[in-house]
Amino acid sequence: MNHLVLKHIYKKYSNGADAPYAVKDLSLEIPEGSFVGILGPSGCGKSTTLRMVAGLEEITAGDLEIAGKKCNHVPSKDRGVGLAFEEYALYPPLTVYDNIAFCLRAKKVPKAEVDQRVRAIAATMKVEELLKEKVGGLSGGQKQRVNIARALVRNPKILLLDEPLSHLDQKMRQILRREIKKLHNEIKCTTILVTHDQMEALSLADYIAVMDQGVLKQFGTPKEIYNEPANVFVADFIGEPPMNLLTVTANTEGDGTAFFEMEDGSCIRVPKRLQRNIEDKGRYIMGIRPTDMALTDRRDFDWECEVDVFEDLGEERTISIRIREDFCTMVTQEIQKYKKGDRIHVKLNPERVYLFDRETGERIGKGGYYGKDVQPQRAGGNCAESSDTGSLSL
Amino acid sequence: MAKVTVENLTKKYGKTTAVRNISFDLEDNEFFVLFGPAGAGKTTILNMIAGIGDPDEGRICFDGQSMNFIESSKRNVAMVFENYALYPHLTIYENIASSMRTKAHREPEEVIDREVKRIASLLRLEGLLDRKPSQVSNGQKQRAALGRAMVRKPNIFLMDEPLAHLDAKLRNAMRKELKAMQDKLQTTTLYVTHDYAEAMSLGDRIAVIHQGEICQIGTAEEVYNMPATEFVARMFGDSEINILQGVLRREDSTLKLVLPLSNRSYELPRHTAEVLEASGRKQVDVGLRSSAVRYSWRPEEGYVKGTVYTMEPLGNKVELTVKTEGGAVRLMVPVTETPDVDETIYLAFDVSGGIYFDSDSKEYIVCQKETAGKEGKR
Repeated sequence: MNHLVLKHIYKKYSNGADAPYAVKDLSLEIPEGSFVGILGPSGCGKSTTLRMVAGLEEITAGDLEIAGKKCNHVPSKDRGVGLAFEEYALYPPLTVYDNIAFCLRAKKVPKAEVDQRVRAIAATMKVEELLKEKVGGLSGGQKQRVNIARALVRNPKILLLDEPLSHLDQKMRQILRREIKKLHNEIKCTTILVTHDQMEALSLADYIAVMDQGVLKQFGTPKEIYNEPANVFVADFIGEPPMNLLTVTANTEGDGTAFFEMEDGSCIRVPKRLQRNIEDKGRYIMGIRPTDMALTDRRDFDWECEVDVFEDLGEERTISIRIREDFCTMVTQEIQKYKKGDRIHVKLNPERVYLFDRETGERIGKGGYYGKDVQPQRAGGNCAESSDTGSLSL
Repeated sequence: MAKVTVENLTKKYGKTTAVRNISFDLEDNEFFVLFGPAGAGKTTILNMIAGIGDPDEGRICFDGQSMNFIESSKRNVAMVFENYALYPHLTIYENIASSMRTKAHREPEEVIDREVKRIASLLRLEGLLDRKPSQVSNGQKQRAALGRAMVRKPNIFLMDEPLAHLDAKLRNAMRKELKAMQDKLQTTTLYVTHDYAEAMSLGDRIAVIHQGEICQIGTAEEVYNMPATEFVARMFGDSEINILQGVLRREDSTLKLVLPLSNRSYELPRHTAEVLEASGRKQVDVGLRSSAVRYSWRPEEGYVKGTVYTMEPLGNKVELTVKTEGGAVRLMVPVTETPDVDETIYLAFDVSGGIYFDSDSKEYIVCQKETAGKEGKR
């Protein structure tokens, strides 16, 4: 069952006719109990989306439904959402206990029940020993735990987390990330996490919504996002070192073989899988991850090229080939050393060559990795299907 | 272009000694990297060579000539800054020319024109000379900043973390740009960084600095494969090396290694066993990089059971910290592996790929790669 549904949501912060949309035609269907990451660069509309769900921002157009009920005009406090922001916004003069108990007392919950619920949630978030402390003296990690405990104590239907780990150092982030993952496995509360950190989204979320300039670029499981990017934006944004994206022109020969000619005139053989998707002289963007390229010999290769930069980084080596101003980089575990100017023969993993339309940036010829076409790009109605493909691949 | 010699350099700030008795030589045209964690004293050393800070003890020589009392501006050193510091209102041409139009280094206009064009073609900036810095890419800005430093023909290039402020993607690309330009620099270069990939990729030699002292000077291969101390070993690699306790035990007349963590004994490669035998140690520390740790999701012969404690995604890989009864182990798995927290995992250790350290002094004893290197040279 879809617990949280966004239908064609628009958001404008000012009323002018040509005022820009902070969020544009956003549709998402989020199943009950799932963990969704909203991921994108700063200014992409991810926090605005979260704030609309929370009821802190008005929705300009479109419908927001929680548990099947339209909630556009339901006040924030009646939506059953728990919120934890990057800045903890705790009450500094109060103890941890009083901070967590605050909203329950405001709702006139009986004292005994307040006590029982505060202690239970403090145990879950591992802040039991801190209950009598003032929050001013806590570390960043402890504050964020208290912050999340306070959001959870009201038994929210939906937990909203806005960059909860961004303020913390790496060690603390790692520990709290583990805690959040465990917490979600225990309480299975529908959770939305806003983050700019792809690694955080990839490691925590069941589904990721990638946004750019207010527009949803893709919605899918972490594996779909990584393996089947729907467009150039997602392909470029996800993965480190980044995917190589090369501007190419297709050349098909009479005998059925085809080549991609790059800007510097060198040619790459087109994988068979993609041949039916290309037009002769068509211009495309070809994508390949550095780990999906391998060195081979001259008997069977896709690309003959020249080493520009070779780096030995201990565990692995990188070989970069220059194409005009840019590099195309591959990562190899082989011990062989190369130097500038060496001719090498490269084979591409044919299942992992991506092709994008040069004008729209949309993916062409999907489905190498899963063996069937998945369409995770539009979220509407596709959640159940996405979760199927997700579990198949696991 | 100069040979740079640093002898017994010491620098104190009040009571704290920032740099203690540092000595190294930079060969003519060498690319030398000072590598270490924040606060190690790297920038202090660089500043003393630049003449920005005076050493309390020791000598700095360029081509045998002492620089200790020579002013910074007379040393002919060129610094490349983190933010490139190009003049935004000047074109790339004017920016590169600017260092030949200063009072100290003024050149005739025809020389300037010739030099700017020569450097521009070297750095692939020819088509961009009329543009302003805001109209070129980051890589081109970096090249322009380098070009401006190069036209002065400095004794030495000093680069203090020039890539540190870039995001991961750009930093990777810029590092490769710098590497591609390296052989065109034709200038002795001192490069300061805390990023091990930059150090390994760019350095002809690397000096690893810790708490104001040099731990090791060597090529990338030497510091990676034969680290002088456990500290050096920990500084290199995406995933920190595992340092496990080991006990050496004689079994059937051969020396074997027992890892308390897995409670098993392992055969050792011959050379490793011989050197360990000769060291007379009973206890050793075994450094195992992620590549020497194998994993399985099912129980297998020789594997130790553990549970996934944390997952730290690092690019296309995930670093797992696994808790076993004997302690924690770090390893890298592909990003496509997505274990759950607390999931059961089984680990095996390839001790022949290990780096062996003295468990008291934490200093290097032996590793298998050492013999491979020697045999290769023969």
